[in-house]
Amino acid sequence: MDKLNVLLGQSGLANLTLGQFSMIIIGLVLLYLAINKRFEPLLLLPIGFGAILVNIPGAGMYAEPIYAADGHLEAAGGLLYYVYSIGIESGVFPLLIFMGVGAMTDFGPMLANPKTLFLGAAAQFGIFGTIIGAVWMSSMGWMDFSLADAAAIGIIGGADGPTSIFVASRLAPDLLGAIAVAAYSYMALVPLIQPPIMRALTTKAERKITMTQLRVVSKREKIVFPLMVLVVVAMFLPSAAPLLGMFCFGNLMKESGVVERLSDTAQNALMNTVTIFLGLAVGSKLSADAFLNVETLGILVLGLAAFCVGTATGVLMAKLMNLMSKTPINPLIGSAGVSAVPMAARVSNKVGLENNNQNFLLMHAMGPNVAGVVGSAVAAGVLLSYLG
Amino acid sequence: MSEFLREGFSLLFMGMGTVFVFLTVLVIGTTLMSKIINRFFGLPEPEAKGKRRPSTAEDLSELAAVAAAVKAVHGH
Repeated sequence: MDKLNVLLGQSGLANLTLGQFSMIIIGLVLLYLAINKRFEPLLLLPIGFGAILVNIPGAGMYAEPIYAADGHLEAAGGLLYYVYSIGIESGVFPLLIFMGVGAMTDFGPMLANPKTLFLGAAAQFGIFGTIIGAVWMSSMGWMDFSLADAAAIGIIGGADGPTSIFVASRLAPDLLGAIAVAAYSYMALVPLIQPPIMRALTTKAERKITMTQLRVVSKREKIVFPLMVLVVVAMFLPSAAPLLGMFCFGNLMKESGVVERLSDTAQNALMNTVTIFLGLAVGSKLSADAFLNVETLGILVLGLAAFCVGTATGVLMAKLMNLMSKTPINPLIGSAGVSAVPMAARVSNKVGLENNNQNFLLMHAMGPNVAGVVGSAVAAGVLLSYLG
Repeated sequence: MSEFLREGFSLLFMGMGTVFVFLTVLVIGTTLMSKIINRFFGLPEPEAKGKRRPSTAEDLSELAAVAAAVKAVHGH
């Protein structure tokens, strides 16, 4: 009978706290969004499941290993503990993902029209504007964010999952779960968030602007470009070198055309493997004490603001460039500067087609779109060197 | 507390400044790089066109051959 009592005392039901129960429900909501609503399922499904696993009482999925005084291992840690410390605390997983993203990125449209890099720069205002928002909320006494927390929240506006996770793991590991969930959820919501802002800031005539066809970009340019980015990063902003370095490495593997096997692994097999563990590890950060508080609400609100502000500044910058440039620029491609590749470029294309069904903006929007990835990595570098 | 806000604004200006300077350098670098490469190695356009023309010419010669064959068969 005593044995039975012990077993019952260790059961999940007996030990479940209200916080853990709520987090399991949140995990289930994430699974629902991934499966039924197709919200970034590749990430939200592992994140949701990780959240459930880490909140099962007594399972010890996130238990730290216990070492005896003489240093030998007494009890091994939980799986999620190891995955998190090896992959995210070290920064390895986001960097590997960035390598894969680099191997999938075609800089062609951007090389054909380098000016679009400015759009990728303007949209990063979302990041820094949101930092001000977070700092303001704290100074009003509504939230309790440090400057590092504010910076990690702002990076949601970079609309780039691996960059957000990389920066958050460095500056505000406690907020990482909420930041990653906000970043990926809003990326899935880009087709809903962006169009109203784009329509509000442009006139019908501007939306109808057709752009001149992009020139053909030679293979040599595509090979030299990642090397050039690397040199510029190394010279001006070494703190962005981990992110952009891996990105350029992946891109060079793709464009050189001599290591197709490696490039294929980087963008498929390795990327998928890392994504599974990255998702689980992020999910393991969704514990009740870190997630169920007013700060999470603040992060969700600020993250949304970051996306909106980035979209708006991108569109406004494109309008400004249209006034000054000799060749016409459709302001709708400005919104793609927030990154969120390739979703944001598709949104530009879609809104463009609504106004002129012969106007295909997709390739034009891919320029600012990949520029946005470079821009958010640069912004991340600034934040890390300022606060790290 | 205003000290905190001021720090936020200095981060804003420094951050946006760096992003713009960095990407401006990239724009200049990219434009120069493309110009240099296209000057010394030629524009890439002819490659795409060059491939197309022979194929249409081939099609025509094929068509001519078929026409000749048809004529030869029906000529009897």
